[in-house]
Amino acid sequence: MITMTDVSKEYRMGAETVHALAGVSLQIDGGDFVSIIGPSGSGKSTLMNIIGCLDTPTKGSYRLADEPVEGLSADRLAEVRNSAIGFVFQTFNLLPRLNALENVELPLVYAGVPSGERRATARELLDRVGLSDRVRHRPNELSGGQRQRVAIARALATKPRVLLADEPTGALDTRTGSEIMDLLEELNRDGTTLVLVTHEPELAERARQVIRLLDGRVA
Amino acid sequence: MGRRSLWESMRMSGRSIAGSPVRAALTALGVMIGVASVISLVALGRGAQEEVAGGLQQLGSNLLIVYSGEPRGTALVRTNTSNIRPTLTETDLETIRGLPADMITYVAPATTANAQLKYENRNTVSTVIGTTPEYTEVRNLRPAYGEFFSESDVDSRSSVVAIGMQVYRDLFAPGTDPVGQRIRVNGISFRVVGVMEEKGDAAQDNSVLIPITTYQRRVSGDSNYAMIAIQAASPDVMRPLQATIEEHLLRLHRLPSMESADFYVANQLDLLATVEGVAGTFTLMLASIAAISLVVGGVGIMNIMLVSVTERTREIGVRMALGARRRDIISQFLTEAVLIALAGGLIGIAIGVGGSWAVTEFARIASHITPISIVAAFGFSIFVGLFFGGYPAWRASRLDPIEALRYE
Ligand SMILES: Nc1ncnc2c1ncn2[C@@H]1O[C@H](COP(=O)(O)OP(=O)(O)O)[C@@H](O)[C@H]1O
Ligand SMILES: [Mg+2]
Repeated sequence: MITMTDVSKEYRMGAETVHALAGVSLQIDGGDFVSIIGPSGSGKSTLMNIIGCLDTPTKGSYRLADEPVEGLSADRLAEVRNSAIGFVFQTFNLLPRLNALENVELPLVYAGVPSGERRATARELLDRVGLSDRVRHRPNELSGGQRQRVAIARALATKPRVLLADEPTGALDTRTGSEIMDLLEELNRDGTTLVLVTHEPELAERARQVIRLLDGRVA
Repeated sequence: MGRRSLWESMRMSGRSIAGSPVRAALTALGVMIGVASVISLVALGRGAQEEVAGGLQQLGSNLLIVYSGEPRGTALVRTNTSNIRPTLTETDLETIRGLPADMITYVAPATTANAQLKYENRNTVSTVIGTTPEYTEVRNLRPAYGEFFSESDVDSRSSVVAIGMQVYRDLFAPGTDPVGQRIRVNGISFRVVGVMEEKGDAAQDNSVLIPITTYQRRVSGDSNYAMIAIQAASPDVMRPLQATIEEHLLRLHRLPSMESADFYVANQLDLLATVEGVAGTFTLMLASIAAISLVVGGVGIMNIMLVSVTERTREIGVRMALGARRRDIISQFLTEAVLIALAGGLIGIAIGVGGSWAVTEFARIASHITPISIVAAFGFSIFVGLFFGGYPAWRASRLDPIEALRYE
């Protein structure tokens, strides 16, 4: 599903070059559950951004579902993100003016799905994450755990093959966090590839494969 | 962009506008004021133009006037010619009368002098015009009371007078019937046969008209005319007619060219063209002032849209992560700018139309709303939205998704 070979990401900061990633190779199979762990600044988010096609490597090759991602135009990358990737962020990143249903519909809007079909799919997904009684609520009318559930439903809207979760429990209390983890694991058992970024070893251990990053390298 | 995605953009923009209605209203205000001023100033300009042109038509239609002497000023009608030595002869008049009927409808000679009027113990200063009944046709004059003098009055050199409305007011107590009363014109007794309708032209309203023959016999003694007023058969023949008249009179007066002529022809077409030119420039000036305010309104939109893009950087990042392409972001912000500009434009059109109406209704200032100015204002507000929303929208679409997502 995901193959990275010797991927580097460099940032130029004046005269200095920061190596956010320095030659990372990894392989993630379809349906896998992989966690990426490492101290702050080790390159976890950079790696996630490249996997999620938000960013492209400076060096090395990245193939998503056997397709090379290098050299894709900004619009092609947007289409790949839309159809193949679902993002779950630490701070949820729901649009505050839209209600839960509309937030979940958003990726389908960009996929060009007609409004009726969109609504039906979004309702189904909110039902799936246990929020069928909160569809008309706006993010600020929901608890942190509920917001993250909406975000997960949104990530699933286009039935992507890969779910990328960057510290998804970082802003939640332990109990809610563990409920969210349960939900993500359940989705993984149903076939979605799950990539989890965390700095908590207990969470990382729940994955089938653990990738440890240190200073931009796989340790 | 498909119909569906345009609809989606409009829904999203509607959301965003509804989310901060006060800001949207303030943003639209600039375009609103711009459009309102375009509409109302152009309406006022057009109104002024039509009023002046209408006033010119009031003087008479297809009007040519042959004057004695050299060209003076640009006035078409000179009611008082007392300072001109009359050079137009009976032969000149007959020659002009003899021109074909498809060129000339009416011809009337006229000569004028200052006049001291007296009725009972009231006095007024006026102008006396000696002419023929055809003068009323040429100059578009109609009696309000009584009637104008007749051809037989001209033939018999009757001492009859038709007075202007202002003269009537100055000499007679309100409600008095002047017809049949005798007034003195420069000491000579005349019988009033009628009062002419008010023209709004002070010189005309303050004049009195008597038969040309009576004038020549009793007022001046000169057998020449100061002017010959002509109504051409149609606007198309006015220029050829002017040329024909000049040619004939030059020959009769034994003169080589118009440069040395002792007469000249004033043509209503020239005056209309001048007036419309001036009024057109005036309208254009008003329109450009208004257009500047529309541009200022557009800059206001650009400013707010740039602020809005910055504020919504994170939202843009999220949308990009979820699969929004650059064109989706562009169309979202562009649609928002156009909707705001259009709303401002529509309200501006309403205010402009209402304002022009009110100015005409309550201040009696002429205005004329032309459909083209409404269509233009409408189109212009869409254009302003596209043009001034374009850069902010482009900026939004060029954001780096990662940077945008990290933006606090
Ligand atoms: N846009 C950037 N410009 C410069 N340096 C960056 C940028 N993004 C990340 N970095 C650097 O790259 C390194 C890895 O960052 P990141 O992937 O965010 O780490 P993590 O998510 O593991 O905390 C850090 O040293 C960070 O400062
Ligand atoms: Mg990070």
